[in-house]
Amino acid sequence: MFGSSTLGGATSFGQTTAAATPNPMKDYEVVSPPEDSVSSLEFSPSTLPQNYIVAGSWDSSVRCWEVEQSGKTIPKSIKTMGGPVLDVCWSDDGTKVFIASCDKQVKCWDLASDQVVQVAAHDAPVKTCHWIKGLNYTCLMTGSWDKTLKFWDIRSPNPMMTINLPERCYCADVDYPLAVVGTAGRGLIAYTLEGTPKEFKRNESPLKYQHRAISIFKDKKNAPTGYALGSIEGRVAIQYVNPVSPKDNFTFKCHRLTLNGAAGYQDIYAVNDIAFHPVHGTLATVGSDGTFSFWDKDARTKLKSSETMDQPITKCCFNATGQIFAYAVGYDWSKGHEYFNPAKKPAIFLRSCYEELKPRST
Amino acid sequence: MGRKKKKASKPWCWYCNREFDDEKILVQHQKAKHFKCHICHKKLYTGPGLSIHCMQVHKEAIDKVPNSLPNRSNIEIEIFGMDGIPPEELREHERQKNGGRSDSEDDEPATKKAKPEVPATQANMMMPNMMAPHMMGQFTSMGPMMTPMGPMPPYMNAAGMQLMPPHMMGAPPRPLFPAVSTSTVPSQAKPTFPAYSNATISAPPTTNNPAAAGAAAATSNATTDGQKSLITTSGTTSKIMHPPEDLSLEEIRARKPKYQRKAIIATSSSSSTMPMTSRAPICSQPSNNHMLHTSYAPVTSVATSTAISQAQEHAAAMAAVVQAQAHAAQAAAVQQQQQQKQLDDLNRAVMLQRLQAARPTGPPLGMVPVASSPMSLMQPMMRPAMALAPHGALLGGNMLRHGPPGMGGMPAGLLAAPLPGMVAPGMGVMIPGPHMPMMMPPRFR
Repeated sequence: MFGSSTLGGATSFGQTTAAATPNPMKDYEVVSPPEDSVSSLEFSPSTLPQNYIVAGSWDSSVRCWEVEQSGKTIPKSIKTMGGPVLDVCWSDDGTKVFIASCDKQVKCWDLASDQVVQVAAHDAPVKTCHWIKGLNYTCLMTGSWDKTLKFWDIRSPNPMMTINLPERCYCADVDYPLAVVGTAGRGLIAYTLEGTPKEFKRNESPLKYQHRAISIFKDKKNAPTGYALGSIEGRVAIQYVNPVSPKDNFTFKCHRLTLNGAAGYQDIYAVNDIAFHPVHGTLATVGSDGTFSFWDKDARTKLKSSETMDQPITKCCFNATGQIFAYAVGYDWSKGHEYFNPAKKPAIFLRSCYEELKPRST
Repeated sequence: MGRKKKKASKPWCWYCNREFDDEKILVQHQKAKHFKCHICHKKLYTGPGLSIHCMQVHKEAIDKVPNSLPNRSNIEIEIFGMDGIPPEELREHERQKNGGRSDSEDDEPATKKAKPEVPATQANMMMPNMMAPHMMGQFTSMGPMMTPMGPMPPYMNAAGMQLMPPHMMGAPPRPLFPAVSTSTVPSQAKPTFPAYSNATISAPPTTNNPAAAGAAAATSNATTDGQKSLITTSGTTSKIMHPPEDLSLEEIRARKPKYQRKAIIATSSSSSTMPMTSRAPICSQPSNNHMLHTSYAPVTSVATSTAISQAQEHAAAMAAVVQAQAHAAQAAAVQQQQQQKQLDDLNRAVMLQRLQAARPTGPPLGMVPVASSPMSLMQPMMRPAMALAPHGALLGGNMLRHGPPGMGGMPAGLLAAPLPGMVAPGMGVMIPGPHMPMMMPPRFR
């Protein structure tokens, strides 16, 4: 199913009534979703023959499903952490999942033995974790609200290295040999991971508002060359680490809702996540407005925008082959706790996306 | 005295009190500073012109003239150069110009009238303009601000001197506050008559432009801790859907007691799973929860059971009570450690109790993940026919997973799990029922 070019089919797993619009795009719903909003979502790396998807949630759980080509999902396992989960990542060989949590710890979940061990600690909740597969080392990079970035050999209780950040870590991405971190106070720092991790460039933020999501993109030769940075003000900046011309960098608006009643009035929503397609190099953004959009940054065009979900989209990701786009629907706190409606359940949807993200031929 | 007349007749900008040598320059200034559209940068000719432009072209309402003094921001008044300034304001300006030279106290009402509308911070900057002797009394508290004034004008001797703080008498050549001095530097150029020296800006232009204010707020975020900074929407026609605090949504959410409680309680339970694992102690994290490990061991292996999450909720409720009591009894911060221990003990008790109760329905207790049996997750799975199975066959696949012939070779676990109501030994129950708590098998073979 995901291999074919068909758009999202109308399969609904036992749901006969489609009340309201919990699934306006008619995508495949992952069974047994978390009980609270999904905070992190990652597909298994290409080293595994099957597709597995891992989701961390505010209910402190981490769940793993197998995703079949048919769009069917099979729950595999669940682990409970010591606090709400803020990030998950896979090891490059697909044997482990790392889980960053509000309990200030990062745990390693060995899937083969189904064991969980602590591998990292911070003085504040850990917002990000990323696995670094370098040439001469492998390690886990963790970013926390304690204003540090730490690098861990997971066999050692102490970090290999600690880098102080100017502010709390809000978002990060890693694609060896490049790492980028977005912090509070609109900090934006690029690190080079060659040899040992070190600061490469401190950039002035291209955005005027709080950073929220960051994702590295590659050039034609498959080497990381820049990143997309999303802010709470419905805007994404495309930044090259070493731009050939200053005009290569640009920003674009997204996830804004123009209200019809009042002329020109606009509600601006946060960009909750950005993901690049592993094959086409196009990107997807998801927002608090409950939509996802596909973009071609090179042609600077929008490829597709979705219908509006009944809740914000909190996270998204592509599988290793770029056939499946997964997105998680749930409340993201953007309107405060008053608007938290426990009756609305979180969900994860899977969409066949390979064709939709193809750049349009010129 | 002829000089006075000449000065006073200089064209000046009503919006920002700035004087110009030529009315042409004044008009240019007004077009660039006060009548420029902040969206498309088109220069209009008057305030109402700008207002109409913004409304018609950009659908934005402009309520203040950009970069104007607070009391001169009226967009309705049509002013072009010196034309259109309300006659009383013209007279007042004239009077203010002459104020420094006038010996009579008649001017007082006029100057007073203008002053209260200027915020205190700006009053500092207004100093050169206000140097009439009768004004001195009102600015005594701002003594140090006067430093950049340079030598005292002779007429100040009588009233002014005694009001000056003693340390000011020496009239230091350099100002104490360089930042302040920059805006008053022109006054040093003509030290003899400070009253005239306001040839340039006598008050800092205000930023009424919402976009500029928003940008300013945003940049201040970069420098401050972000704790107090707020998110301001640029422009009047849009709204950023985000809590006003400039914190990440996750930080705001994590503050909720619901999530905090989870973190405290689960820390004790989850960290105890660590040493539970049969692997070599990969890391010995400094943790104050180690005392619980042994007693937890049989329980935590079933980390997936819903019983735990239920227990957690109950424990959470209990914990809240205990915490409240404890807080009342103890001095909070110092005895945190003890408190934590108490809490943990209680949690454990509650949890064990709950687990006992949940036993009949929950997955078997004490089922330790068998480290020796490799997890199917990592094994290549045998799904011969499934991979390419036609879509139709999989409609409602969750419920009815027909086993194609090839399925015979599948591990039992794979086949069993999706079938509703079928409880494989050692597995959670997968009944898609309305009341069923979300549950997944601890591990899937």
